[in-house]
Amino acid sequence: MTLAIETENLSRNFGTFTAVDRLTLAIPSGKVFGFLGPNGAGKTTTVRMLTALIKPSAGTARVLGYTLGQDDQQIRRSVGMLTETPGMYEKLSAFQNLIFFGRLYDLSRAETERQAERYLRMLGLWERRDDKVGHFSKGMRQKLAIVRALLHEPKLVFLDEPTVGLDPEAARTVRDWIKELRSEGRTIFLTTHNLPEADELCDLLAIFRGRLLHLDTPTNLRAQLANQATLVRVVGEPQAWQATVQALPFVRDVAVTSDTLAVSLDDPERNNPTLIATLVAAGAQLRYVEPRITTLEEVYLKLIGEA
Amino acid sequence: MEKIGVVISKEWLELKEQRMLLVSILILPVMLSIIPLVSLFGIGLSPASSGTDDFTRELLKANPAFAGLSEQAATQALLGQSFSSLMLLLPMLLPSILAAYSIVGEKTGRTLEPLLAAPITIWELLLGKIFATLIPSVVLSWLASVIFMIGVSSSAVDPRVISLVISPGWLLLLIFCAPLLSLIAIAAMVMISSRTSDPRTAQQYSSILVVPFLALFFSQMFGILVLSPSIALVAILLIAAFAGLMLWGAVVLFQRDTILTRWN
Repeated sequence: MTLAIETENLSRNFGTFTAVDRLTLAIPSGKVFGFLGPNGAGKTTTVRMLTALIKPSAGTARVLGYTLGQDDQQIRRSVGMLTETPGMYEKLSAFQNLIFFGRLYDLSRAETERQAERYLRMLGLWERRDDKVGHFSKGMRQKLAIVRALLHEPKLVFLDEPTVGLDPEAARTVRDWIKELRSEGRTIFLTTHNLPEADELCDLLAIFRGRLLHLDTPTNLRAQLANQATLVRVVGEPQAWQATVQALPFVRDVAVTSDTLAVSLDDPERNNPTLIATLVAAGAQLRYVEPRITTLEEVYLKLIGEA
Repeated sequence: MEKIGVVISKEWLELKEQRMLLVSILILPVMLSIIPLVSLFGIGLSPASSGTDDFTRELLKANPAFAGLSEQAATQALLGQSFSSLMLLLPMLLPSILAAYSIVGEKTGRTLEPLLAAPITIWELLLGKIFATLIPSVVLSWLASVIFMIGVSSSAVDPRVISLVISPGWLLLLIFCAPLLSLIAIAAMVMISSRTSDPRTAQQYSSILVVPFLALFFSQMFGILVLSPSIALVAILLIAAFAGLMLWGAVVLFQRDTILTRWN
């Protein structure tokens, strides 16, 4: 397994404040890595260190096999970056912006034009290529910034909130695109506050607040919070069946909402048939029985709250 | 080297699209070359000793270089010398305007981070910015000075007026100091950019650079300073040393880490 990013005790201080504290990470190539954390957690500082924009105070890192601090120019050449704000030259057209950045990334003018056309067509901006960016909507600027990040076909792409400001259709396009980039073997370092998006896209998630709190797959992270429960929606008042359910030996807790019994129980797969049979035998009419899914948001809030 | 060219062409493309900025950098050289010419022609065309007041007469007497000149010619020489000092202001004023938009504009447009993330060295980026500002500033300053010189030559009522205004010392300063003064103004703007996010505020801060020129302007007017070639050479050396110092300061501040973590 090759590693796209490998850090060891990577730290950054600003005076006496430690923004990033001894971050040790190993991100395999070809994966989508989600970097989650509240505002001010040090996510941007981490990305800036890994893209050779700012220097670490301590620790080491290798990005795509290049050593941070020694091969910084190589690192910059090999990674793509979508910053928090699109940051395009407003007086220049979309095409002029891309030509400028393509040339900075060592592409010839012809190559840059080819790449710009390919990606602008893909994101539906080709017809607007000669319009000044100052006339673009927030979403269009965001798309253009994504194109800029990919012009030089980087093996590793840092995306900071890539779908912010995009309409649902464009956001879907970008998400599908991220999946496509992964299928091409590229590594995506995704910083986001959009937890359903992170859940959908990421192979690996880090929850970060100055230091690494958790690093795992979304499934494993959810399992950590697994409060296994079965939701039973009934006809009529659910309170009528609360005592019956609570009396079952494998039931730990029963919570009641307007038409639902939320039953926390041991081993739902084995005990659900008994639960259902008991309720039916007692005269309950069941509308739906479904497992309660722990969302990534619940996991995130719990882990951040504990930190 | 290629990336320096890429930065320069981007800067000029942006400049072309900013009409107000273009107007403001064109209007200055036009004014600084036209106003002196109108004044010098006016003096030349007016009847001898018609409009000279007592203060000017005292000034003319105080400057030994004007000895033997008619009052009309001496007035032309006095005004011409004062205006010639102002021509040296252009290489500082123009880059202050251009660099304010070039560097502070990157901050306000939030383009600095994506720019710094690109594989361009800090020197390439800084030199690209410097040349993009320095070349038009120096060319415009020299063009305005050529118009000024033509005007002085054609309006002079006495041939000595020409040699007094377009002196070897002034020519040396113009040729060698214009690029150096532009460099100082750009370096100052880089330093100021680290503390402000508004191009207009940056320009206001940079106006402090004008002070030494006001000293030159008044010294010439009162006859305290005669701009001989040797004085000009000493000035060039001092300005070159100061430009080097300013460039060093700009390079210290214009580092990726410093820009992203310490610039306000």
